[in-house]
Amino acid sequence: MGLVLHREPDLNSPDMIIGWPGIGNIGLITVDTIRQAVQAEELGEIEPWDFFYPNKVIIRASILTDMGFPTSKFYYKRMANRDLIFFVGEEQPATRESMYAEGARAYEMANMVVDVAEKFGCGRIYTSGAAVAITHHTLKPKVWAVANRESLLPELKSYANTILMSEAEGRGNQGSITGLNGLLVGTAKRRNCPGICLMGEIPDYLSRVPFPYPKASQAVIEVLASILGINIDPRILDEMVTQMETVIANVYQQFPQDIRERLDQRKQAPRTRQQPIITEEDQQWLKDHIDDFFKKGDKGA
Amino acid sequence: MEPLKYLSKPKFRNPALAVCWEADAGQMGEGVVKYLKEELGGEAFCEIDPVEFFPLSGVAIESDVVLFPESTFYAVPDRDLIVFFSALPRYEWFHFINLIIDVAQECHAREIYTIGGMITLGPHTAPRDFWATFSSPQIKKSLAGYELSRELDFETPPGGRPTLNSFLLWAAKQRNLQGANLWVPVPFYMVGVSDLKAHKKILEFMDNRLALGLNLAPIDSRISRQDERIAQLRREQPEIESIIGKLEGNLRLSEEDHEKLAKEVEEYLQKQG
Repeated sequence: MGLVLHREPDLNSPDMIIGWPGIGNIGLITVDTIRQAVQAEELGEIEPWDFFYPNKVIIRASILTDMGFPTSKFYYKRMANRDLIFFVGEEQPATRESMYAEGARAYEMANMVVDVAEKFGCGRIYTSGAAVAITHHTLKPKVWAVANRESLLPELKSYANTILMSEAEGRGNQGSITGLNGLLVGTAKRRNCPGICLMGEIPDYLSRVPFPYPKASQAVIEVLASILGINIDPRILDEMVTQMETVIANVYQQFPQDIRERLDQRKQAPRTRQQPIITEEDQQWLKDHIDDFFKKGDKGA
Repeated sequence: MEPLKYLSKPKFRNPALAVCWEADAGQMGEGVVKYLKEELGGEAFCEIDPVEFFPLSGVAIESDVVLFPESTFYAVPDRDLIVFFSALPRYEWFHFINLIIDVAQECHAREIYTIGGMITLGPHTAPRDFWATFSSPQIKKSLAGYELSRELDFETPPGGRPTLNSFLLWAAKQRNLQGANLWVPVPFYMVGVSDLKAHKKILEFMDNRLALGLNLAPIDSRISRQDERIAQLRREQPEIESIIGKLEGNLRLSEEDHEKLAKEVEEYLQKQG
């Protein structure tokens, strides 16, 4: 069991960017988009069988010819300044009951990722995920940020469209990050590796639908590109964003008018957790119906 | 704690290992294990400790009896047979199936067979197919003389997951242990009860392949009784007769018919004991 490195390049002070699936697949799309844009090459992988249940069996003429597992791969790219290592996981190591990483296996995988960061002398690790927010899908998502050491916070505040988690929606000093995005920056902290988690906002009423929310990934990509000093075309996800906005707009039109009107107020009003614009009943109604709407919306798209 | 606990070390030559799971479709695993134990005996000789593989936050209760996950190997040395019976693990699947293979290799097992039910929309009165998937062309060839459907092409569709039996067969293949997954179709309305015809298909195969010398007369008479009970239900409830008649006529059922048939057959057979 373990880590397999296909090569061991001598990298110049690399940073590591990490993405997994999660709400709206915001982190995964973010990292995979940057990885593809810079044409990173494969570096290695974490062998899957101890972490994942297989996701594919191939049988030909009744002979079991192959078994597929979710991949967890490292990539690297030499850059002008600091080189980059990417880690892209197709799934979080979890039990069958939960899509989010938990328990000993999740911690083991987080440590294996940090092992690679240490081995190549990474200066920082970045994880990316979703921030479920009281926002509206027509607004540009902000990027919430946390760091695993206080000294990084002033820098994070200096980036455009970025807010510290404590400043978001008046939530104050308490918060949490579910799954490996959180566990990884925590593990990195324990091993004295600087780490930052960047989370793109997704409206609360879309957080349960099984669809990507590339608009938030686009926002995170802008921030990451700025931090890393790399050129990524900001329009890179435009096509995907437009497609999803059409689907969301169609579904949104099917919401009851009173809920839609209250949600529309979010476009103007300042947002706080203490004063949500829609009621708890509305939120429950949305939770109960949102999947059905998207199924219909998908068929029509 | 060591996950494998040997209770004894029975002597085998090159045994076959049959793997059966609790609570699968048509109660295949439970039914086959029970019959083999009735006919051949079988001493528990090894157990897998549950702590790593099952949520032990409490216990389930069935008919006022406490249930606890069991993962036990039974030995029938004079027939060179090992039978493994277990609840399906909930975590650490790769470790769990490798423990099964560890025991197989410790006992110098020559081949492994997994047993499973495959839900079908056909009626219980239709002849049953018998499917197998093999770990290699060699074992496929060696089983050519048995009535197994042998030309299946399949890929797990997106979002789906392979069965634990497939995972086990793949892992066994990685460790040079040959084997086959055996599947018998179980009508959807027999999923929650013992589908004795399906059990017999497996038992017949094992008897022929492994020269077990099984007496199949008892299961034949149980099958007759089960058929008679379902026939009785059909006589008592014209609606059930009509629904099964549709299935026998290869007609599609409504969702309502589907649910009614499954509910009524299960309740009737369980009530009759």
